[in-house]
Amino acid sequence: MQPTDDELDTLIRARLALLGIDLDQLPPGTEPDPETGSPGRETALASLRSFLRTTVPTLSEYRFDADPALAQQVAPPTLYPSNTTAWQR
Amino acid sequence: MSTRRAFLARTAAIGLGATVLPAVGDATATAVPQGEVDVEPRAAARHDLTELTLAEAATLIRRGRLDPVDLLAAYLARIEAFDGTYQAFNLVRADAARDEARAAARRGPLHGIPLAVKDNYFTAGVPTTANSFLFADFVPPWDATAVARLTAAGGIVLGKTQMGPLATSRATTPSGEVTTVNAWAPEDPSVYPGGSSTGSATAVAGRLATSSVGTQTGGSITAPSNAQNLTGLKPTMGRVSLHGIVPLTHTRDHPGPLARDTLDAAIMLSAMAGPDPADPRTLGLPPVPDLVTAATPVRRRDRARLRWPTRIGVIPGYADGGARTAFLDTLADIPGARLVDVPLPAEWELLTGRVFNDVRLPERSEPFLPHLRADLRGFGVSVLGWLRGALLGSDEYLIGQRAKLVLLERVLTDLFDRCDVVVQTSPVPFDILGLPELALPIGFDDDGLPLGTILGARPYEEDRLLAVGAAYQAVTDWHHRRPADPTRPAVRRTPPRLDALDVLETMQ
Repeated sequence: MQPTDDELDTLIRARLALLGIDLDQLPPGTEPDPETGSPGRETALASLRSFLRTTVPTLSEYRFDADPALAQQVAPPTLYPSNTTAWQR
Repeated sequence: MSTRRAFLARTAAIGLGATVLPAVGDATATAVPQGEVDVEPRAAARHDLTELTLAEAATLIRRGRLDPVDLLAAYLARIEAFDGTYQAFNLVRADAARDEARAAARRGPLHGIPLAVKDNYFTAGVPTTANSFLFADFVPPWDATAVARLTAAGGIVLGKTQMGPLATSRATTPSGEVTTVNAWAPEDPSVYPGGSSTGSATAVAGRLATSSVGTQTGGSITAPSNAQNLTGLKPTMGRVSLHGIVPLTHTRDHPGPLARDTLDAAIMLSAMAGPDPADPRTLGLPPVPDLVTAATPVRRRDRARLRWPTRIGVIPGYADGGARTAFLDTLADIPGARLVDVPLPAEWELLTGRVFNDVRLPERSEPFLPHLRADLRGFGVSVLGWLRGALLGSDEYLIGQRAKLVLLERVLTDLFDRCDVVVQTSPVPFDILGLPELALPIGFDDDGLPLGTILGARPYEEDRLLAVGAAYQAVTDWHHRRPADPTRPAVRRTPPRLDALDVLETMQ
């Protein structure tokens, strides 16, 4: 099931709003802001919909191993402050 | 991860072993301080100080045959004459630079050398805009570590260079109007000058500065170097501190030099590199090897050869029957070099392609959240990359980070078990992995525009890259060729513009 444009627009606006970002700071429509060159909000929404439709599914479908249990054991992310501190010393 | 550890250990051993490598074959050099160079200027440089490489200028200054004040004056004259056309600089520190050039105390191997610094490096008391509305009034209270090290070595910050807004695209105004041109086609702004370290490249190619520094997240040192006939060195992640550089992507930003040749790049990186307590990414790494020695050509019976026996990996699809093929043929003729065909690792296209490249984007939105909340328009034409980053979920981000480790293992085994350096057709894969890359000039196209290529190496083996570059440049002269000066006055037609979608397509 593919989300519709309206559903994605709602998701985008809601996600940005949760971060405190108001897309309506951009000018309405598709014309860029004449002063700053920033895109119109419809242009931005179209770009963001395209991003979500391509990037999120492709990343999320990636499998580190065909066996889900073994996939969990592959390439744990190296984001550990304790290890990093010891390594640096 | 045992393979990676083995490579790191081997890298450390090579770095330590540099002290017993063959000596440079110049018996006339006397009493050269450690870490400095002694390079007799070429004939072409004797009548034009701006033609001097960094190594040549540093040699003359150390010998007392060149006054840094005169060197600086020569560059300021060219900036006055031509930067209206090039638009390489955002800001020129003419008076301050003159004061510094007059300073008598010798501080190091860069003593009196005028440098162009990308405008995303903090410079104490000097505006640092990252070419963005968001930083228009920002004056850092301190220098970036890399800037502090360059000036501690005697370098003079001649000016801050124009760049892609927030280091995204080729240099434009923050609203997208093209500014900096390629020094090889100064009257035609449609000719790609490389981005985002565009001004740094144009400043060196146009002989407005002896050398320069830029940053690379997705090709921003190697691309402008290739476009403008320069030698660019993107070091391994952590080799140079990022402290005091406006971030674009924490795990992928790399500071490094855009230089006139391999030796100049080595001198610059030697000054910039090393541990910095202010940047944890620089700590606990293999020591910086003797880069200057690595970049000094070795000759035996007047013939250039590789400093170390080196297997040069050739990936499928690299040879083009033109300049790249000629590059490979030239390398193959250098004693000590051996070309080997290497396969691309499994899932190369997927793991280095656009989608997996997108996992860099949250790393630019997160540090800019206050700006995104307060002033979306302030991002100008660059805003879409930041908004995309804000939308990517943590699951996808973590998958992307884990995939980098998988890709690194494959690169270290599938590529680097078979070769010591490898040619590249794009900077992005090794930018994703934080591996070192060297950009070299390899010829010109039918329009007289420079052609370049990229070599990559294992982590922290910049010396390997420099040794190959030095040998190649010992038998070629592409790197000595300079563009003609602009002939038209600095009256510009309406410049082309990039809109937000253009920037999205090309952003690093």
